[in-house]
Amino acid sequence: MTTNTLVYIEINNNKIENVSKEIISHVSKNFDDTSVCGFLTVNTTLSESLFSELRQIGLDKIYIIQHEALKDFNVEVFSGVISQLISNIQPQVLLMGATVNGRELAPRIAANLQIGLTADCTDLKIEDNMLLATRPTYGGQMMATIYSKTLPGFATVRPGAFLKRNFPEKNTEIVYFEANFDGVYEILNKTEILSTEYKPQTDDWTNSDIIIAGGLGLKSKENFEKLYKLCDLIGAKPAASRAAVELGWAPSEIQVGQTGRSVSAKLYIALGISGALQHMTGISNAQKVLAVNTDKNAPIMSCSDVAIVADATAVIEALTNKFS
Amino acid sequence: MCFKILVFVKQVPDTTDIRWTEHNTIQREGLESVINPYDLGAVQLAKNIKSALGDCKISAVSMGPLQAKEALKEAIAFGCDDAYLLCDKKFAGSDTLATAYVLSQFVKTHCSDFNLIICGYQAVDGDTAQTPSSLAQRLGIAQITGVTALKDICNEYSVWIKDTSAYKQEIKITHPALVSTTLKDIDFTVPVNGWIKAQTTDITVLSAGDISAETSKTGFCGSPTQVKKAYRPVIVRHTELIEPDNCEEASNSIVSIINRCKEQDDN
Repeated sequence: MTTNTLVYIEINNNKIENVSKEIISHVSKNFDDTSVCGFLTVNTTLSESLFSELRQIGLDKIYIIQHEALKDFNVEVFSGVISQLISNIQPQVLLMGATVNGRELAPRIAANLQIGLTADCTDLKIEDNMLLATRPTYGGQMMATIYSKTLPGFATVRPGAFLKRNFPEKNTEIVYFEANFDGVYEILNKTEILSTEYKPQTDDWTNSDIIIAGGLGLKSKENFEKLYKLCDLIGAKPAASRAAVELGWAPSEIQVGQTGRSVSAKLYIALGISGALQHMTGISNAQKVLAVNTDKNAPIMSCSDVAIVADATAVIEALTNKFS
Repeated sequence: MCFKILVFVKQVPDTTDIRWTEHNTIQREGLESVINPYDLGAVQLAKNIKSALGDCKISAVSMGPLQAKEALKEAIAFGCDDAYLLCDKKFAGSDTLATAYVLSQFVKTHCSDFNLIICGYQAVDGDTAQTPSSLAQRLGIAQITGVTALKDICNEYSVWIKDTSAYKQEIKITHPALVSTTLKDIDFTVPVNGWIKAQTTDITVLSAGDISAETSKTGFCGSPTQVKKAYRPVIVRHTELIEPDNCEEASNSIVSIINRCKEQDDN
């Protein structure tokens, strides 16, 4: 039986959120015999460039809900019209990114449709036509695999949990969905955004090919500066453990782990990181993990693909010389 | 007119102190219970509103076993005026959809004239952040998720600051409404007489019948999501241990791994 999966394509500032592409990549690769459809909301006609990008993310079909009331994100309005779409097309699986907006939107849709929802998942699979969603709980100290008795199986997915892949151009069908917008302006009147100040964003590093992370073994903020320089030379992205961030050696934006970000790099190099469980859950989707630590018995050494007993700071120096 | 605030609090295990049994399940015996740290942020915001408006009543509400009375007493000590505990065997095992249903039934039957609901952003034992949104949907009210400060308030509306990693917004919302807050780890000073008030204030305990809740929609049976399995994460990688003689040798190994990664195809 074919599974029909529907994925929310979240667009912010005329750009598709990476997590949407990550979800589509995972579903296309791991859900056997599934048709993958997407849906998105816009307030005005889509740009040509966005249209062509939408045809390159591996979707069979895209539903577009277009209305001027969808200009700014309003959780009541969005959940109302998206619920209409779900009721109409009745997918078996419904997935959204666990972004700031997604985490607010999904529970309202679930409550509206009276269906189960599993939040912030790091793994998804289909078994007997049922969605099995796995998520960390108790602050990353425990994992729970959850299914739902209702349809569609509904989950939000942690950004960075899956690897984003490239797709050949596909003949994606585009369908405009006519939703009912009655009463929408009364809803919009209840909340008013008085001002928005966007913060400069570090580009999304969590799914870059190579990530080099530093921990307490780097011993100082200065050595993190050296790590950044090395990353530039290699074409890698830097990251840090919670302990290093808490000491102020690295900014929290690059923290990896349950309280930081999940990464799905092809190669994750951990320099001087002991490997507390909450860190390891954040890198469980990295394809290859290489750990460098002076302590052969550090937890990370037994759960890496390659464990090298060496001093992290000396290794940074040596690598910098080699790549310069 | 008295401004009515409902603060929803949850009693959670202290997740900073989790111990494991030999079967890799959580050792519940002797596990300390605390008020969810984000819910203390919600209590703080309610108190800020009370100081701004004067004529204001803060009710703390929790769903849980009788033991959760302790969390509510704490909430009273910190400055809430009264407290309700939604306690029924039929509520046990509720997921977020069922929990939001129970909370919404309480609001509809006991406090339908509320002005504002304040919740913590998420509970630290589940980290789902679903219940506030789900509750707002059930009640058909507007919401702001993750406020960090109160800017302005009157009986009809309030203005909030929402400060996320991506943006900072000022949002005006018309009451009745719900806000959830990411404030946590508030350093509370219990007001003079706080604990005395907590000991002398009766906590109203309400059952499913008291809030006209249909028990087919509550608890384990009323919860669509079910845990198939829960386990302690085990990371399985087959480790190749390298003990190089010097740093040069170590960096050579790393360089060859980096180069192999760069050559590797997409799949």
